Amino acid sequence: MTEPSLVLPDAIRTQWPYRPRFARVNGWRMHYVDEGAGDPVVLLHGNPTWGFLYRDFVGPLTRTGHRVIIPDMIGFGLSEKPAREDAHSLDGHIATLTALLRGLDLTRITLVCHDWGGPTGLGFALSNLARVRALVLMSTWAWPLPPAEFHTHLFPWRMMHAPMVAPYLMGRHNVLVTRGIYLSVVDRAHFRERAQAAYEAVMPDPASRLLTWTWPRWIPLDQDARALERFVWLDSSSPHVNCPRFSRGDARTTCSIMRPSPPASNNCCRMRKARTSSPVGHFLQEDSGSEIAALIVDFLKRLAQTGRGRDGRESHRAAAARRPAPRPRARRRPYRPLF
Amino acid sequence: MLAEDRIGHYSEFRRFFAGTFDLDREGLKQPGYVTAPSGTNYALVFIARSGEPFPAGVEIHALMPALEPLDEDAVDGDLWAILKWMIAGVGGDWTVRDLEATGRLYRLPAAM
Repeated sequence: MTEPSLVLPDAIRTQWPYRPRFARVNGWRMHYVDEGAGDPVVLLHGNPTWGFLYRDFVGPLTRTGHRVIIPDMIGFGLSEKPAREDAHSLDGHIATLTALLRGLDLTRITLVCHDWGGPTGLGFALSNLARVRALVLMSTWAWPLPPAEFHTHLFPWRMMHAPMVAPYLMGRHNVLVTRGIYLSVVDRAHFRERAQAAYEAVMPDPASRLLTWTWPRWIPLDQDARALERFVWLDSSSPHVNCPRFSRGDARTTCSIMRPSPPASNNCCRMRKARTSSPVGHFLQEDSGSEIAALIVDFLKRLAQTGRGRDGRESHRAAAARRPAPRPRARRRPYRPLF
Repeated sequence: MLAEDRIGHYSEFRRFFAGTFDLDREGLKQPGYVTAPSGTNYALVFIARSGEPFPAGVEIHALMPALEPLDEDAVDGDLWAILKWMIAGVGGDWTVRDLEATGRLYRLPAAM
């Protein structure tokens, strides 16, 4: 596919030297990088970041025998940015990710999910169980209600994405990128010096920032929420996926929205939790990227040693978990036959 | 100047515009017009969308003399004033004080 001109400043290119690749997926042009060889590790960002968030992960993972794939969500980074809000939905983003990963015919995937990469990645995982080997979850969520306390507050959360206020603050003034990430990391000076420009460069105009205020509106706040049914499905299905998991939750984060796993759910026995050595914010990859990458490398190493039976085949338990998860039924509409 | 596709995300905002400009009766006949502190007039163009209550969205257009470019700083201040007028009109839990606090948190020039 023809590559559009890239706008990354030279200082950013030195930190992100990877060959840009583009795929036509689900009707959109999606940018991704694809580095290394081995079992694939797919790293999913959220709002308002892009693949650059994972720059400290590529080297450690490829050097230890993994293929690293980092897509930019449609609406972010170097991917196409739709101009209308209705172009974005949780189901649509899951379908887009599914199109990319099926198009690459990936199997034995380790999904690394952050922020909106969580519901999106889990949505893919639950509907493509045969392709997923493990999950890594960081500062994300996938439950319907009640919302995290931060999301119930009018100041600043609900005000920030209120009608008309959102396109002014987050569109015209780009506050989620220029201030939001900055306020949600611990080492702000380092972030401003090394990374801020990379996030600003890919959102130069108000129209390019639409998803920064659209995603907050998809977080369920009450029973009328648009994505409630999908989150119910994610929440109710996830505990029954017998997939090795690695999560990083930390009470010291500034916006920790990781709900503890239900103690009785059967995923706990296969979940490994880790903490970083120093405090991190919601954008923990910016604070401790190298350390978290090393933790994931170690997790994958342990998985390779213990995740299979002696004969090299999957255990009966793992195979049983690869049954497809149920999907919510589509709403009936009065379609008119055209012929 | 601004385009909002989903004015009913919080339904009280749709009710505010519908009530202020009598949209249940007027429909799409004409925009709503306001004059901002700089003296510039703005048109609020309401958008309808199948399957959703009217108005589904709204656009704010600056009504400038023909061929004259915008004064971006003045427009920015005007938009902030329109937002304060809107929040005050919506009322209830929504307060201008919280809007101003949000603007200061994110260091908006118009709010500092």
